[in-house]
Amino acid sequence: MNIPTELRYTKDHEWVRISGTTARIGITDYAQDALGDVVFVSVPDIGTAVNVGDSFSEVESTKSVSEIYAPLAGNVIAINPVLESTPELMNSDPYGEGWLCDLEITEATAPASLLDAAAYRALIEG
Amino acid sequence: MVPFGGWEMPLSYEKGTVSEHLSCRNDAVVFDVSHLGTVRVSGATAKRDLQRAFTNDLDKIGPGRAQYTHLLDAYASVLDDIIIWWIDSDVFDVMPNASNTSRVIDAISGHDTTSSRAVLAVQGPQARRYVQTFSGDAAAVPRFAVRRVEIFGTECIVAGTGYTGEDGIEIAAPVGVAERVFDALLAAGVSLAGLGARDTLRLEAGLPLHGHELGVGITPLHAGLGWVVAWNKEEFRGKAALMAIRDAGLDRRLVGISTQGRRPPREGCVVAHDGRQIGITTSGNFSPTLNHGIAFAFVEPAYCEPGTEVTINVRGSLLPGSVVATPFVKKRSS
Repeated sequence: MNIPTELRYTKDHEWVRISGTTARIGITDYAQDALGDVVFVSVPDIGTAVNVGDSFSEVESTKSVSEIYAPLAGNVIAINPVLESTPELMNSDPYGEGWLCDLEITEATAPASLLDAAAYRALIEG
Repeated sequence: MVPFGGWEMPLSYEKGTVSEHLSCRNDAVVFDVSHLGTVRVSGATAKRDLQRAFTNDLDKIGPGRAQYTHLLDAYASVLDDIIIWWIDSDVFDVMPNASNTSRVIDAISGHDTTSSRAVLAVQGPQARRYVQTFSGDAAAVPRFAVRRVEIFGTECIVAGTGYTGEDGIEIAAPVGVAERVFDALLAAGVSLAGLGARDTLRLEAGLPLHGHELGVGITPLHAGLGWVVAWNKEEFRGKAALMAIRDAGLDRRLVGISTQGRRPPREGCVVAHDGRQIGITTSGNFSPTLNHGIAFAFVEPAYCEPGTEVTINVRGSLLPGSVVATPFVKKRSS
């Protein structure tokens, strides 16, 4: 299972890449594998304000639907425009081309609930 | 792997449901459908017993042919939908859905041979070409024909049947040779497909699934399958109840609905017209061939005409759609 060390993770299988005041968010390799073929992603509107734990997106596969929860508080400043036509990128490249959205972080410090790669690996392999 | 009708079945293999689905539409795949039941009914009274149990009429076909039929209860609900393989004049293999085998044995007796064989469904426009590499006889079994075919020195039953809307054959192979047949299919280049693709393929092909479009409270007439009912037969289980329902008129009918966009409609969603509920979905998904959502739904009879505009409420999102004729995806002429 691919778990890049430079990212942070949630127990709900989202990943976060924090650079300055921006956080890029997506779903993990484990999540895409468990979901199966992703066929539709409902992305949040740009400008949406979210709090930690808010359900702000849905990922639909041929077998089920899964909600995505905001790992950080912030405002949605970008969404991945190619997901509308090629949501399968979430399967083929979950940490790259298959990213979900960018948040402008509104809290100064990231929540303590975010896991590092080792802790996330322990969670899914536990 | 997922539990299904008392079996552990693969939902998909490495390439995933969408890829497996498209391989079946464009090339060929193999499904291990050994979970289907097989009940061997034979002897001088076999045909008479099946005629009295099931809705369809075996006199429309003959030995060496397959027929789709229904088993009803006393209220005319569809207890199971079944394929009968008529092998010899007094030998029949009755193939119920996995979880319904015991109901079928209750109705027709017969001998449960499910554990003695594997069933491999080879489906897709290239299916016969791949089977030809190890058995020309199996590859040549025509659509809806049933033949005894020797494969690798062992007699198998091969039928030109399937559940995908594509050409193909199904091979019932005794357990001793089944793995070798499976390996031969893979060596020939057939790819694997799991339950996920089986469901999206049958949905595109407009084929019902028991427990969704058929089941308690649903007659063949509700499901638009009146052609499986042989009214001319003197008797079959549930005939009196079914006649009463036919004469009283149907309160709902099964229709296909195409939705706009990629979001998959799901089972159990409310179908509305002009803001008023007219029905409920029984199956739904993303169609990999059409690139939009498709669903089956039971709706009030006034709304079953193709072109009728509807919405499907998927967890609060109203998907616009319209009633369409099924199959959603028609087999390409080969």
